[in-house]
Amino acid sequence: MTAQIDNRLSDAPMMPLNCRRCSAQVLVRKGSWNQTSVQWTAGALAACLQRRDPDNSVAYSGQGVFLGCSALTDSIVGAVGDGDLPVVDEIRSTTT
Amino acid sequence: MTLQSNTDEIREIEAAAAPTRFARGWHCLGLTQAFGDGKPHAVNAFGQKLVIFQSDDGTINALDGHCRHMGGDLTQGEVKGNEIACPFHDWRWGGDGRCKRVPYAKRVPRLARTAKWITSEQDGMLFVWNDPEGNPPPPEVMIPRIEGVTSDEWTDWHWYTTIVNTNCREIVDNVVDMAHFFYIHGSLPTHFKNIFEGHVATQYMTSAGRPDLGDTEGARMLRTTSVASYYGPSFMIDDLTYHYEDADHKTVLINCHYPIDANSFALQYGIIVKKSEALPSELAIQTAIALGDFVKMGFEQDVAIWKNKARIDNPLLCEEDGPVYQLRRWYEQFYVNVVDVTPDMVDRFEHELDTTSPREEWMKVVEANLAGRSVAEAI
Repeated sequence: MTAQIDNRLSDAPMMPLNCRRCSAQVLVRKGSWNQTSVQWTAGALAACLQRRDPDNSVAYSGQGVFLGCSALTDSIVGAVGDGDLPVVDEIRSTTT
Repeated sequence: MTLQSNTDEIREIEAAAAPTRFARGWHCLGLTQAFGDGKPHAVNAFGQKLVIFQSDDGTINALDGHCRHMGGDLTQGEVKGNEIACPFHDWRWGGDGRCKRVPYAKRVPRLARTAKWITSEQDGMLFVWNDPEGNPPPPEVMIPRIEGVTSDEWTDWHWYTTIVNTNCREIVDNVVDMAHFFYIHGSLPTHFKNIFEGHVATQYMTSAGRPDLGDTEGARMLRTTSVASYYGPSFMIDDLTYHYEDADHKTVLINCHYPIDANSFALQYGIIVKKSEALPSELAIQTAIALGDFVKMGFEQDVAIWKNKARIDNPLLCEEDGPVYQLRRWYEQFYVNVVDVTPDMVDRFEHELDTTSPREEWMKVVEANLAGRSVAEAI
């Protein structure tokens, strides 16, 4: 299959962000105020403290799926609040 | 942005032919009780006809359906001891794929081996391991156990099977399709998250009840929580809980398929419901049936779309759509050799839509911070 490109990412790519707790670097994109995408690497996942704690019942589902890291979520909210991470929809609504 | 402003340019649909290779992974063929009667069963899967039979030792075996001698159809043969006997010349094939005996010959010829699939019986279901490279299944990709199936506190499986005439990528795409839950399943997602990591693709969803549906189940229900994961290319376990004012109703919904060929698949789904004080045995069974009918209705509407839609490799997406490209990147890992699996197919990816955080308050904070920063920068 030829590589296909998500048109949304060509318009506004994902951006690097460091977790304020464990410093793991991930790629983040906020499509809108309530939409967030995160691309992890194996290294970032290994560094995540919440990921390494399987007894953390808040972060894991009943079937053992790691649902997400709250420290990273806080870091993303913080980065948006500080103006370091743009919200794609907000840029569009102000520029168009 | 240039594409949006150039109104003369037409977006073309691109689509390569559906792959003729079949996914590496565990595939559920159905409930074991359907195969455990000592007779051979024909299953069309992975572009072939398989023979499934339970041998005298109790094991359920899966072999290619055609005898390597003269091509007889083993699915019309007979189980003799631990072997399947060909109806043509009575050649006997064991579950390990080897010819054990040719009753009229002194010796079995060399290379008397046929294709076999490793089988596994778990929680009332029969699984086969498909791998075009012929490697055994790594233990970490085994389907997880389903708590409840073997317990008296839960109902038995309520199981459906149907054939769908399209490539199975269409049903896998559903994992990221949030919008169809509102239109098809009558639910109102408030929090929706996709997580792809390793061989597991998850859809986490909380939904509010639907007050607009009047005096129905949907209106009385406060919310639902659903954690649904594909473990490999074809087997999804959905832990689905209905929250009512007085009690939680716990259910497990299986959504699985196996490819028949490049352009059709067998879709199967099964439901178990936990019994409780609020949901005694008979009512739990009724709930399972009602939920099954509801899911059936949803799939039938999907099927109506799939029948007529075009296969599309380059979907044009808006910000509100799910991560279709990332899901397909994850799915690709099952169609390449193990050595060709790249980190971007298995690295963790999250895509989240959370409608519960108050935007207005939040944007006020952002604006205040930005204003503060520009003042600081100006100084």
